[in-house]
Amino acid sequence: MKRRFFTQRLAAISLSIVTGLASLGVTTIAPAQASVENEAAASAHIDRMIDEMKGVLLTDEGDKATREAAVTNLLDTYFDFPGISRFSAGQYWRTASKDEQAEYKTVIRNVIIGTVVRNFDQLKGLSYAPKAVKAKGKKLVIVSGKFSDDTGSRPSVLVNWRVVTRPDQPPRVLDIEIENISMLVTQKQENIAIVRKNKGEFAALIAAMREKLAE
Amino acid sequence: MTATSHSKFAICAIVLFAVGACSTVPESERTDVRDTYEAGNRAVFDFNMGVDTYVLEPVASGYRNVVPEGGRTAVQNHVEWASLPSTAVNSTLQGKFENAALATLHFLVNGLTLGFADLTEDDAAVHREDFGQTLAAADVPEGSYVMVPVLGPHTTRSITGVVVDFAMNPMSIFSATDTANTVVAAQPPVSAVSFRAQNFEAFNDTKYNSVDPYARVRSLYYQNRQGLLEDRLPGELGDSLSDDEFSDFLEDE
Repeated sequence: MKRRFFTQRLAAISLSIVTGLASLGVTTIAPAQASVENEAAASAHIDRMIDEMKGVLLTDEGDKATREAAVTNLLDTYFDFPGISRFSAGQYWRTASKDEQAEYKTVIRNVIIGTVVRNFDQLKGLSYAPKAVKAKGKKLVIVSGKFSDDTGSRPSVLVNWRVVTRPDQPPRVLDIEIENISMLVTQKQENIAIVRKNKGEFAALIAAMREKLAE
Repeated sequence: MTATSHSKFAICAIVLFAVGACSTVPESERTDVRDTYEAGNRAVFDFNMGVDTYVLEPVASGYRNVVPEGGRTAVQNHVEWASLPSTAVNSTLQGKFENAALATLHFLVNGLTLGFADLTEDDAAVHREDFGQTLAAADVPEGSYVMVPVLGPHTTRSITGVVVDFAMNPMSIFSATDTANTVVAAQPPVSAVSFRAQNFEAFNDTKYNSVDPYARVRSLYYQNRQGLLEDRLPGELGDSLSDDEFSDFLEDE
């Protein structure tokens, strides 16, 4: 009787150990597998975007309206504008009203599109080669690559794309880091400076950005 | 007074003027807590933008139009070569002996052409190290952000490094001839024009299209400096403070 009790206890303990190890295995293997999947999805996302950008560059004839439409479509498809809006507003996002948030989303999107359209000619004659990819946490993947000038007249530029991989959502580009300079961190720090200069008025940032866009 | 002495005197005078002329701004009125002298810094920035508009931008534009790409690359190579002794010394001071050896090798080999041609064809990149980074490695506090007339954005720690590094210039160490002195005196302006020409579009985009160019330049300076302090080569997938900022942002969603 005593022996049977002991055997049953042993079996129960063994079962709990096996179950524990199994669940530990699942929790350690699952994130690694998720990372690999996220890395593949982010890499494919950047490759598709570069292919599409090449197509836009090939068909571009310099007409500003056509170029702007093509760039807008490209950025809307591949970039995470809601995330960019929240990140670039910094701590002031939470204090802004719903109307201000909506207005800021529109303005920052126009600022980014305007920047790409203005510098579009610089993208001509460049080749892109992917270099490496690395997941950083559950939702962020960094895809690195190199832009080289086909004629060799400009130095190569190393780029890190910060791609967001949220569960059950397609990947989106949140930031571009060129030569250790993050475009989004730069925008955020400039925005925070403008709001602080205006004594915490988020509306002042929107007004200043609108004014600059109108120039 | 030789040309080199003039240059050293000018740099010291500019630095002393920059630090001495600034008065502190209360923290609540700063747009960045690190920018203790913001009001004075903004005035110096306006002055620097004036110098850029009337001198640097037109000269850099002409330089781009007149000097072919090969020539501009040679000048850029020379500017980088001239900073290698400083990199070698500072790498040694920081215990980065491999980088020090690499910098010395590159300096000696490319010294055959005064650094105008890169003869090493070595894929192993030399991490730039300056005396400001050595001070950082010795845990000297970063200090305040200082916009220095003509020399641009710095921190009080990094501008101290600039003065020391200038004294380590190979031409001023190994030669005392008039020609060498002239070369040394010409290096800062040549370096400025070369940098401006190399970053012509990006610089103009910041200058003319950002809402607050001063704040943008400050952000660019700190990010670039952080990359140097972390010994992060561009495009490298190492850990960086920016990655942490993005990860935290996504965790909060």
